[in-house]
Amino acid sequence: MEDTSKHTEIWAVGGGKGGTGKSFITSSMGTCLALKGQKTLLLDADLGGANLHNFFGLITPKLSLTDFFEKRAMLQDLIVHTGIANLELITGSTGSLDSESINYAQKQKLFRHIRSLEADKILIDLGGGTHINTLDTFLLADKMIVVTAPEITAIENMYQFVKSVYYRKLKSIFKSYDLNTVVQDIWKNRTAHNIRNLKDLIGYLKQGSDRIHDIFNLEMSGFVVHIILNEVRSPKDILIGENLKRACVNFLGLQVVYSGYASYDEAVHKSINNKEAFMLFNRLSPVIKEIRQLTENIETETCFSAPEDILDGRIP
Amino acid sequence: MEEYHDYLELLELSQDSTPADICRRYRYLKNLYSGDSIEIRALNNDFSEEIRADFLLRLDDAFKKLNELSEKSRDGATRPRTDQDDELRLWLTQIDCFTGSILRSIRERMKVELKTVFAATRIQTHFLEDIEGEVFESFPAEVYLRSYLIEYARFLSLDTQRVLNDYLPRYRGRAAK
Repeated sequence: MEDTSKHTEIWAVGGGKGGTGKSFITSSMGTCLALKGQKTLLLDADLGGANLHNFFGLITPKLSLTDFFEKRAMLQDLIVHTGIANLELITGSTGSLDSESINYAQKQKLFRHIRSLEADKILIDLGGGTHINTLDTFLLADKMIVVTAPEITAIENMYQFVKSVYYRKLKSIFKSYDLNTVVQDIWKNRTAHNIRNLKDLIGYLKQGSDRIHDIFNLEMSGFVVHIILNEVRSPKDILIGENLKRACVNFLGLQVVYSGYASYDEAVHKSINNKEAFMLFNRLSPVIKEIRQLTENIETETCFSAPEDILDGRIP
Repeated sequence: MEEYHDYLELLELSQDSTPADICRRYRYLKNLYSGDSIEIRALNNDFSEEIRADFLLRLDDAFKKLNELSEKSRDGATRPRTDQDDELRLWLTQIDCFTGSILRSIRERMKVELKTVFAATRIQTHFLEDIEGEVFESFPAEVYLRSYLIEYARFLSLDTQRVLNDYLPRYRGRAAK
């Protein structure tokens, strides 16, 4: 069960919209992994409003990422224990009002140091929005996870988020092959090339030349986004994840897997307000089982498969 | 045969899909992309009316071609047409109890022979006859009957849960006597 190799796997959790339960899902998945015996570190990278520590009843840690950025502390010094075996936490900056001023060098330094932390899994909780720092941190991950909810606003923002991430990745890859301006130029002149959306752009790039085609296949084939649907209220909602996957594949041209869902449960709300670790105290909640399942699905790269009767539309 | 794979790919199905799989997936996708669900509306410009119309056209085409191809290769084992005419559909909504004889009428009105049902569901024709004739002695255990009913109802594009709810009490009532 335990990963014996030294390799640290980074999971990043984003999703574009705030309030969809990114932090809840991250902390719960982390707890799940830790309980299975994997050394897990949660990194709260919501630089504007870090509050992952609340999910474990911790008081705001003394040191945060701000201290790291301002060179007052090493990244390792920021680690606090959550009270759960194998589970540790680094908090983002809570007090800072200028969270977007992190510069490129600071960001690079953070990414370097994250890789050197000792853990089996590092789970990064990102804030909402599609700020460039958020996108870059997301792209750092070995497993990219988006959390969304069955609401049109959350879904719209999720589409926007995955598209932005993908576009950013495209640009950075072509840049590394000294083709910096290719993607941007094509996109700027998109009407001339008859490109309506991201999917057309991808198609255009693939046809462009053999070299671009090869680069694309080499670099982008591993680009897979995992979808988690939170606050599911009906069997029909479960299907939304499946439909989102189809929509992303067919109309955005992205590789997406539906990893699982978590039901809406009043117990989650209570547990957050009581500052308790949800996974430890709510054995009767279906959400526990659902989170265990989706965590395992992400670990093993398995797709959640919606029950046949829901797919057939036999449940209203 | 290559185009056969392309059509299957459009329906996001693997090569070993049965005609029943194809039919179900087609109905699901058609419903999803012609509908007004939030996950589709949220795509906005990425799924304009133009793209939608184009996609639905290709979907319909793929389904039609797949049916034609499987008719050819499967020696007459055709699926009932999913675009049942409105009269039949109306009649189906008026059925208040799915008895054996009703199932037979549905099948006959869809112009499907028992051996065709067998080809798709692998239920022996004598069992199908006994389901339609309500010869309950042929089913000593309910589980077998139940699974046959599910397959058969699916084949006829019926609401499986409703068929089970109507049919199984009749079986239990007879068995109790």
